[in-house]
Amino acid sequence: MKDKNKKAESPLKINRRHFFSQLSVGIGSLALGSLLIPDLFKSDADTLGGLPLGIPHFAPKAKRVIYLFQSGAPSQLESFDYKPTLRKRMGEDLPDSIRQGQRLTGMTSGQKNFPLMPSFVDFKQYGNSGAYISDFFPHIAKIADDICIIRSMNTEAINHDPAITFLQTGSQQSGRPSMGSWMSYGLGNENKNLPSFVVLTSRGKGNSQGLYSKLWSSGFLDSKHQGVLMRSGKDPVLYLNDPDGLSRSDKRHLLDHVSSLNKLHHVETGDDEIESRIAQYEMAYRMQMSVPDVMDIKKEPESIIKLYGEDCQVPGTYAANALQARRLAENGVRFIQLYHQGWDQHGRLPTHMASQAKDVDQASAALVMDLKQRGMLEDTLVIWGGEFGRTNYCQGNFDPNNFGRDHHPRAFSIWMAGGGIKPGITYGETDEFGYNIIKDPVHVHDFHATIMHCLGLNHEKLTYKYQGRRFRLTDVAGNLVNDILT
Amino acid sequence: MVKFASKKRWADYIILGLFTFLIFCFVFENYIQLPSIVAWLGRWHPLVLHFPIVLLLLLIFLSLTKKRISHILFLIVTISTLITAISGFFLGLESPNKGDLLIKHQWLGISLAIVTTIWYWLHQYKFYNKLVLSGIKIILLFLIGFTGHFGGMITHGENFLAIPTNTENKIPENPIIYRDIVHNILDNNCISCHNPNKKKGGLLMTNFNALLKGGESGKSIIPNNPEQSELIKRLHLPIENEKHMPPEGKTPLTNNEIKILEQWILLGALDTLKLNDLDENTPLSISIKKMIRPEASNTWESLPKVTDKTIEALNTDYLTIKRIANGYDALSINCYLPPEYNPKPILDLLPIAKNIIELDLSGLPLERNEFEFLATCENLEHLELDNSTLTDAYFSKLKRLSKIKSLKVYSTKISDKSIDVLNSFENLTHLYIYNTEIDENGLKKLKVEKPSLFINKGISEAIYKSLELENDSISKKLP
Repeated sequence: MKDKNKKAESPLKINRRHFFSQLSVGIGSLALGSLLIPDLFKSDADTLGGLPLGIPHFAPKAKRVIYLFQSGAPSQLESFDYKPTLRKRMGEDLPDSIRQGQRLTGMTSGQKNFPLMPSFVDFKQYGNSGAYISDFFPHIAKIADDICIIRSMNTEAINHDPAITFLQTGSQQSGRPSMGSWMSYGLGNENKNLPSFVVLTSRGKGNSQGLYSKLWSSGFLDSKHQGVLMRSGKDPVLYLNDPDGLSRSDKRHLLDHVSSLNKLHHVETGDDEIESRIAQYEMAYRMQMSVPDVMDIKKEPESIIKLYGEDCQVPGTYAANALQARRLAENGVRFIQLYHQGWDQHGRLPTHMASQAKDVDQASAALVMDLKQRGMLEDTLVIWGGEFGRTNYCQGNFDPNNFGRDHHPRAFSIWMAGGGIKPGITYGETDEFGYNIIKDPVHVHDFHATIMHCLGLNHEKLTYKYQGRRFRLTDVAGNLVNDILT
Repeated sequence: MVKFASKKRWADYIILGLFTFLIFCFVFENYIQLPSIVAWLGRWHPLVLHFPIVLLLLLIFLSLTKKRISHILFLIVTISTLITAISGFFLGLESPNKGDLLIKHQWLGISLAIVTTIWYWLHQYKFYNKLVLSGIKIILLFLIGFTGHFGGMITHGENFLAIPTNTENKIPENPIIYRDIVHNILDNNCISCHNPNKKKGGLLMTNFNALLKGGESGKSIIPNNPEQSELIKRLHLPIENEKHMPPEGKTPLTNNEIKILEQWILLGALDTLKLNDLDENTPLSISIKKMIRPEASNTWESLPKVTDKTIEALNTDYLTIKRIANGYDALSINCYLPPEYNPKPILDLLPIAKNIIELDLSGLPLERNEFEFLATCENLEHLELDNSTLTDAYFSKLKRLSKIKSLKVYSTKISDKSIDVLNSFENLTHLYIYNTEIDENGLKKLKVEKPSLFINKGISEAIYKSLELENDSISKKLP
């Protein structure tokens, strides 16, 4: 009886019982299939999704970075972006078709017109590559064949603080880890006696903007990845020296005891920051021995002093820091960040930029040449540049001998050298006004992704989970600039 | 009756289950890793695949001839098709890089299984739209043909069914140098003009005897004497020269190819010589290996295994050992000068000596023992000995380190006596020797042997001089 009923049913009329039995078969086979996927129900490892920290994801070209940050934003139009049209059309108003509604800072938004202002100095072509470099930088011109000039950098911020924070951390709002901290997190220390991220600052005579420790903060990463500011003068690292009367063995005893107490506390609370603190005490203990040695430039031969310029014997100058950067790089510091303040030329650009350029030109070139003769340019990435560009029109009175330029985020120039970057090329192009990028733009995120690639890190894989979300230096953006990679 | 109906139902469930499973597998292919027992099931694919081919063709034939199709046949066809597709999927997972063919075969195979199942269901639900059904049959015929053909190509080689011609030979593991290497080079570069049909210059290169016989300009090959062999002479002529071979406009031979021909002639131009008859380090053997595997740099794959524990144990405060990249046993080691130098941490590296690819010993007061250890690091590619106690005597111990690519010995006492050792590093590309006792004579010798070597002798005098020139043009211009 039952079967007869069944036969009479249309096969397309599925009753509840059929539905469930078929559903169970379907789900059953899905379940069977899912058995073939390992770790399906395991949550991802909190950090790297299985990739171990402290080791590059793939064989790196560069092992360390020296970032010569020109804080305040040097004018690209007086350094690496040659625009003869500006001379031809000098004094003419910036066409709206070029400005395209670009927002302006409060400093020039009130200006009635925007007269185009050509470069104060001439440009010449240098090296086999024929790269255009301005007369402000005669020494960098000598390394034209070792560097890759990018004229198509662009950023989103228009003021110093957000722009520099963006370049350093990948976000305009502060709170994210600095680039150097990410590298330290991803690659670990090369030399256990020195921090992996070191910061050196100097200041020129030009108009400068503030520098603050948030720029080298480790953000939500472990605090051991924070940049260590090394000061000029007698005490490069504050509070590193022992008070008088404390012997090294006393210090050792003290540290051992403190560390055992800290470990007890760690067992109680499970706070990982305690472990970092223990590690940092140990690091400081070893740094007491290593730092004075690394920072002592008296051992440098005369030829090197000559190369970097006499200034390098004066602690706290850019030249001294550049030389120091090489010494730190030799000693296995992963990320050495220099800041040279004073590039914010809203007025009196010719004089101020000349003095700024004089501060950094010789030492920057010297650093690249010095690294090269030591074979370190093979695996050290040197970066030179500011946080944004400057406008092609003049700020304030129109006076070709004494003018200023306002902030310009749409295009600026930087250069990179060594470690996985093609030497002797110029990449990217701006329009004839030097205002908009017309070829191969490089956004800050792309810049970060490319640097990480040189260091053997996949920018999409180096993540840290914080407050329920995984963060990256490049956040949700960033494309490799393949054309500049060797 | 009862029995049959429930059987049919069960069969439907099996088909539904297999079908779902198959779809699942393909959707989540990238996440699946087979346990070995399941992977083994995949090995049955070449066996079971014969069933659906035959039975499906039979089924289509029967239905085209309007014969009554028994349900059981339909059932067997559908199930065997699904099983074949699934087992094929398992088998496919075993190959790390799916080639073009395999991908085609895979997608055609899964389509075949899906269409067959659809046909089965349509049949079950008594769906008799003639157009749709014949469409399905045509698609199935087409799919069987191509899936089978691609599958055959995968197992038997792409040219298995091709009309026999002069097929390009794959170079075997232990090639006969004439047949597999030399002839191959000639075939790619010369034989288009020197064959029985063309025979330019009276020279035939298609077989060994003709090649030795030579052409109008005499013998092309003089065994043991490459310099006198016409073949080699012409390869070395400037490209504008009329006698240069291959003639202008055609691709010239690579340096490596020329080297192979030269070395082969030097060794007597034998047609029986095999690669393994040669010593591993003879130039011919090296060149041939370079030709067979252009990416020899991936020798990191064959390094002995090192565990993280070993690395951890050998690390000290002043010696850092790291894997060069995740998943490799290639190590990069940096040593720093501790307050009191002790060679032990370096000498302790002996068990992992073969894994060391990059080693930085710069600035250390190294002694004999360390250099003896260094001589065992045979896979070293980057070595930094700058500012160390390196001398010529120590350096001579390193002769065996033939894989070195980049060497930093600046600011040491190394002198011209070490030029021979430097010359023995076949793979050397970068050399840093500023502030050493190597002088112009030594450099000259080095440049003759290694014309493409990048040598850095430090920053030139010209640069130092240019530092003194003040840049007046700017300051004059300033307001």
